[in-house]
Amino acid sequence: MAPPPTELIDDVTAEILLRLPPDEPEHLFRAALVCKPWLRVLCDPDFRRRYRAYHGAAPFLGLLHRLQVLQGSPADRFASTTKMPDFPRPGSHGRHPYPLDCRHGRVLIQMRRTVGETKLVYLVWDPVTGDRRVVTVPDIDSLIETAAVFCAADGCDHLDCHGGPFRVAFMGLWQPTTMKKSLRPADCECYVKHMEDAIREDVFRIPYVQPRRAAVIGDEIYFTLRQGHAIVKYDRANNRLSMVNPPLRSAYGITLMVLDDSSLVFVYTEGSSLYLWSREVSSERTVVDPGQVPLVVGSAEGAGAIFISTDAGLFTIELKSGRVRKVGEPGVYFSVLPYMSFYTPDRGRLLSLSRTDDL
Amino acid sequence: MASAGSGDEKAAAAAMITLISSDNEKFEVTEATATLSQTIRHMIEDGCTDGGVPLPNVTSKILARVIEYCKKHATAAAGEEGSSSSFSDAAFLEVDRAFLEELEEFDDAFLEVDRATLFDLILAANYLDIKGLLNLTCQKVADSVKGKTPEQIREMYNIVNDLTPEEEAEIRRETQWAFE
Repeated sequence: MAPPPTELIDDVTAEILLRLPPDEPEHLFRAALVCKPWLRVLCDPDFRRRYRAYHGAAPFLGLLHRLQVLQGSPADRFASTTKMPDFPRPGSHGRHPYPLDCRHGRVLIQMRRTVGETKLVYLVWDPVTGDRRVVTVPDIDSLIETAAVFCAADGCDHLDCHGGPFRVAFMGLWQPTTMKKSLRPADCECYVKHMEDAIREDVFRIPYVQPRRAAVIGDEIYFTLRQGHAIVKYDRANNRLSMVNPPLRSAYGITLMVLDDSSLVFVYTEGSSLYLWSREVSSERTVVDPGQVPLVVGSAEGAGAIFISTDAGLFTIELKSGRVRKVGEPGVYFSVLPYMSFYTPDRGRLLSLSRTDDL
Repeated sequence: MASAGSGDEKAAAAAMITLISSDNEKFEVTEATATLSQTIRHMIEDGCTDGGVPLPNVTSKILARVIEYCKKHATAAAGEEGSSSSFSDAAFLEVDRAFLEELEEFDDAFLEVDRATLFDLILAANYLDIKGLLNLTCQKVADSVKGKTPEQIREMYNIVNDLTPEEEAEIRRETQWAFE
């Protein structure tokens, strides 16, 4: 039998390479060095699209984190959880480079733009492409604030939205007495009242917004408040702020998580049990290592995993499979920001080599 | 040739399809077995299967294996449809589970072939558009590529390295982390 035509071989090569796992990117990069036809297949835009569609959710490539306040700032690094080296994190120009969020292939860091400058900016950084955009922090005299970043392209599946439009949502707590009327959205009366009552009650127990990672579901962004674990929902389509009552107020260290079906889940630990509350049903699971005092410090939507900090280190637990993986050393973690994106060989020198004339 | 068996004989007996390999061997299969291939399904829908379906890209040796796979999986598909209406019945669930295990064992045994045959099966699955078989065989090759160096991959699948030493050095320099 004559050897099959080249296009058929390319088709079949693509079918095989499509099945290499995205959370171990080294396999695709090694395959790129096998021969020119393989390199050509891997750098083809059609393969790039199919690879992302085949695997669905973007894989977890690494993390940034913040420690509890008294622990100071962690090292400025993007810690890779794959064989890849850390992505070089942009310089912080002075103190307080706070990573606030990671979503849709972008990292949001609050920092100073230049040395000696007092004004803070938000840097939206795409580690895969190296793209950096600066967003001005709203000029509001807030006590404490946080922000979330998300893709703003209509109908996007977020599998490959590098370089596309994005939005940053800012959420801050400021003294109601000093708040400028013009900055106060008409719909946030109940939130303001809640704060006024709380502040009158006890000035040291202000229900401030937690600079933890927010949860984003479509046009809704959910932030957590420190006191009583209330959840503030910002509905972007209607420019409306509202409060969501938490399932309980006593838990320590809670995390919001978005599941594949776009439902919001409230996650916390108590003793050695892990509790997940969704708006309709509740479930309970037991954490593997009962000797430690585990704390939920983040979640990775899409991957369906949560981050648990224990004395033995930082772990991810995949909720469906129960698979546990160590991703960091022990530490007093406050917030863990998972970076999820596809990292494939179709860029840089490999892409230009795949397009040389003799291929 | 034996039919796909079990309960679907009345429907299947009426519709038999003849497949003709590149070396002119004829295989008679039920429509349920043949339509696991999207390519053949479309031919049946277009009414162009009278006098047999010539498959000039598939040898009799490979076609026999492909039919073996399709027969097993066509029975599985029929079984699934039959039991889905009573899925709450524990006894049915037990049967389903046992059947799925058996299917998995069949697939594992099916993949015990040399690399040339595996590659021919992929080409046939791709040409005949049999999703399950394509997935099974491609995943097997993908798993065998994982963790191997480019040199080992070339040796395993008889691939000629047509990159110049300069190009190879450049790629290695750019993605050194992948080779450590």
